Amino acid sequence: MEVTMDPLFLAVSYFRRRKLQQCSDICGKILQDNPYDQAAWSLKTRALTEMVYIDEVDVDQEGIAEMMLDESSIAQVARPGTSLRLPGTSHGGGPTPAVRPMTQSGRPITGFVRPSTQSGRPGTMEQAIKTPRTASTARPVTSSSGRFIRLGTASMLTNPEGPFINLSRINLSKYSKKPCLSRTLFEYIFHHENDVKTALDLAAQATEHAQFKDWWWKVQLGKCYYRLGLYREAEKQFRSALNQQEVVDTYLYLTKVYQRLDQPITALNLFKQGLDHFPGEVTLLTGIARIHEEMNNIPSATEYYKEVLKQDNTHVEAIACIGSNHFYTDQPEIALRFYRRLLQMGVYNCQLYNNLGLCCFYAQQYDMTLSSFERALALVASDEEQADVWYNVGHVAVGIGDLMLAYQCFKLTLAFNNDHAEAYNNLAVLELRKGHIEQSKAFLQTAASLAPHMYEPYFNLSILCEKDGSYGPTRQAGFCKQLQQHFAVL
Amino acid sequence: MSSVESSGDGGKWLDAHYDPVAGLYTFSSCVDLADLSGDRESRLVVGDLGTGSSGMKLKVYRGTALISENTLLDLPAGLVAFFMDLHEPRIPAVAVASGPCIYVYKNLRPYFKFTLPSLDVNPLEQDVWQQVREGQIDPVMLKEMLESIRKKADIPLSIRSLRFLSLEADEADEFVQLHKQQPIRRQTVITCIGTLKKSTADEDGISCLVIGTESTDVFILDPEAFTILCKMSLPAVPTMMDVTGQFDVEFRITVACRNGSIYILRRESEKPKYCIKLSSHPVGLVRVGKNVVVGCTDESLQGFTQKGKKLWKIILPAPITTMAPMDLPTRGLQAVLVALANCQVQLYREKNLLSTIKTPDTVTSICFGRYGREDGTLIMTTKGGGLMVKILKRTAVFDDRDSTPGPPVAQSVRLNVPKKTKLYVDQTLRERENGLAMHRAFHMDLSRMRLAAVRAYVKALESSLTPISSSLSEPLKMNAVVQGLGPSFKLTLNVQNTASCRPVMNLAISFLYDDNLYRIRNPYMRIPLLVPGLIYPVETFVECTSDKGISDIIKVFVLHEEKSSPLLTAHINMPVSEGLMLN
Repeated sequence: MEVTMDPLFLAVSYFRRRKLQQCSDICGKILQDNPYDQAAWSLKTRALTEMVYIDEVDVDQEGIAEMMLDESSIAQVARPGTSLRLPGTSHGGGPTPAVRPMTQSGRPITGFVRPSTQSGRPGTMEQAIKTPRTASTARPVTSSSGRFIRLGTASMLTNPEGPFINLSRINLSKYSKKPCLSRTLFEYIFHHENDVKTALDLAAQATEHAQFKDWWWKVQLGKCYYRLGLYREAEKQFRSALNQQEVVDTYLYLTKVYQRLDQPITALNLFKQGLDHFPGEVTLLTGIARIHEEMNNIPSATEYYKEVLKQDNTHVEAIACIGSNHFYTDQPEIALRFYRRLLQMGVYNCQLYNNLGLCCFYAQQYDMTLSSFERALALVASDEEQADVWYNVGHVAVGIGDLMLAYQCFKLTLAFNNDHAEAYNNLAVLELRKGHIEQSKAFLQTAASLAPHMYEPYFNLSILCEKDGSYGPTRQAGFCKQLQQHFAVL
Repeated sequence: MSSVESSGDGGKWLDAHYDPVAGLYTFSSCVDLADLSGDRESRLVVGDLGTGSSGMKLKVYRGTALISENTLLDLPAGLVAFFMDLHEPRIPAVAVASGPCIYVYKNLRPYFKFTLPSLDVNPLEQDVWQQVREGQIDPVMLKEMLESIRKKADIPLSIRSLRFLSLEADEADEFVQLHKQQPIRRQTVITCIGTLKKSTADEDGISCLVIGTESTDVFILDPEAFTILCKMSLPAVPTMMDVTGQFDVEFRITVACRNGSIYILRRESEKPKYCIKLSSHPVGLVRVGKNVVVGCTDESLQGFTQKGKKLWKIILPAPITTMAPMDLPTRGLQAVLVALANCQVQLYREKNLLSTIKTPDTVTSICFGRYGREDGTLIMTTKGGGLMVKILKRTAVFDDRDSTPGPPVAQSVRLNVPKKTKLYVDQTLRERENGLAMHRAFHMDLSRMRLAAVRAYVKALESSLTPISSSLSEPLKMNAVVQGLGPSFKLTLNVQNTASCRPVMNLAISFLYDDNLYRIRNPYMRIPLLVPGLIYPVETFVECTSDKGISDIIKVFVLHEEKSSPLLTAHINMPVSEGLMLN
């Protein structure tokens, strides 16, 4: 005789093992039999939430609207070292952009791609709406659409028969009085349905019901306000929650608010305050390091990443960032160590092999260089990655003097990524060596138009034009002026 | 002080006074600073050349004001202030050299006039004039005879004869009548003047005057009796001189001459001891320590030792107008001020440019020293008659910037190269031990990589994947830009013909895309004739028809009529359409 397990218990067990789809199916069956089973209802909302759950702390990308239509900015030019919006102000110590490549916004390229590392703030509207090269998608219009829509609209794509909970019909005030249901419902609304306004209503009623004594609801309110772009209100809620209960998450949310308000110094102070209560907390340390990195203060960022590694020696971001910093400060052999460590930890992807190949080349471990690139080529997941690998192989080819191979590699880079400005620039130099001046000039112009933040194409083009005797384009496009500005910044 | 900033000297000088209409026309040799009233406050003494024919004056400035003016009879060739006696209070006299005379002023009053001894007159010339006086020959005859004397004789003609020779026939008669009764004299003129301490090196010790003359002689005069103490002769006419030492002990007179040479005279030798042959004419001569700095007409500045050994030479940006020494013993600064024709005054220590002062006009005279109560004062007069006074800031620091060609300074700055790590040493060890194996492995990998690259390259070429076409007939290049937030995007394709001279015709653009997702306004476009080198933007609009928040690749092909395969292909990663999501 077969003993059937209690379906709810089975569902809980599935949930614990993160077999969320099965859990949701079983809960659905239970609810069909008994629509008023609160346990099953609650479990199903949790399972559905978990399916699309993303860490609210990490995922954050500033949209065009926030950047271009910023209401809270007061001074157009902030004092150096107090703003995230002035990437040019270096604190010294780090390598110059001539050594370490920069992103479009003028920040040095980091070792670890996070949503906010790619872009920074563009200078013009046109730059803002252009598709950036490093991200394969365009920037979201506002942070309340974009990425969150894509991540949070599971219901739209997967549930053809309609949503599990019909939000328009739900009686929020009834649910807000049931603490055991209201929280799961809130998370469902916030993460799964991505309906921030309804979530805010629910949170407001629930916190009122809890007589403003529940820090959790305050944090949720703050999250809602943050999503809606009401940063000052969010700050108030998070501050109040912190007064009630010291939680690491709350610190992180609050620093996010301050970063959005462009107050990196306040954010840093808050992180340090958090570290007093939670000494050695990895997420707080990482946060400090990230802010330092965004403010171009690479040496102190590296210090904090090292601190992170002391607490958690498998922290991928810290290892990658320290590794890339060593690479760009002329110590490829140490960078190699860090990347090997990543490999030992089981990170196995194209980018890592790509970096390993470059480190091996510059650390003169030639026997491993090309095999690393071969592996990277075997592991590519997208055209962009393939383009990057070919670009690096091209660099190695230039290094060993095989210009034919280099030419092919840069051409391949462009075949896979039409907007690779660096490859255009290098190809132009190779074309010039062959004596194809017109082609070379065309490539340099393309590189300059694709990547206005790079100074190399301007430099090469002005030299070419000078040799050529045609001063027109150099002056016309204001290349000289731009060059001067570029060098003044360095 | 904005005027200081704009002068581009890094704020080392304070603008004390600038009078563009001071009406001072002079050269460095006619400017000196001296405490003329014994109140320890230096005055500026200037021999003003006026218009060149009239208005020659001896002017004295105190602070910003002109306090005294004496008319000079002739153009001043040089001016020096010197102590001629031991009387208290110690007030220096001013000696102005003009023509064959030296006018000495004490307390700004004429005190003494010294005239150079006259030279021997050619006896033949004397005879001729004697005959004229007796009426034996007429002016035409006189002219002929003087002409022949001028060509042959060792002793040159007197001024009067030379003047006569230059006259027209109708004026000659009158000239002869006017002058024939006077005896002929031959006078020389002073070209340069200097001072030489007599027996002590004290600042207020008695000084002798040193005079260079047109007759290629150098005289040293006794300051009290105004007798010639010493006479030395040079191979050429002196134009500038610098004197150092004491007459009674040992001295050294450096003289720049009109033949482009510099001679160095010493005590107890009638003839020059050393000679420096320059490649062009000197325009300025300054002694710094034991070295001599000479500025030449070929826009160069050259340094020599006392014995005439060339030390260095630098090329200046413009011709030199004048030079002066800048000696500031309290700060151990010895440098040379060089005024240039491009309205700059540059300061050099050895061959290194220390600072540049921009001036509103070309500077014709420079004098540096104590003026008023300020030790480091720079006084300049300009071509337009302006007077400029600048004071060296006490905080000014001059640092040597090596301006010589060759390795720039940046090259000697140590790079911040990290230390060799132990890891690095280990790795080199490995390299040394397994060099052969590593080399083989690398070459094997390289061959494989070349093969892989060539394969991928051929594949890309066959399918025209690259955005660059390098075919000989249609070398093209294309890149695409997507703008917009969605659902409507603007797609701009920049097509460029990279051939050197041949245009490309009969091209078209078409797209390959998922028609469930996108709608393109013009899926087929013809490209106009492509002129080489210009970028042709081809624009179209793409509409995203899906509201699912997904994106796809759009492929763009550049096609040639009558050819089945595309010339170029570009893959455009479309951004996710945000527009529909906004509600």
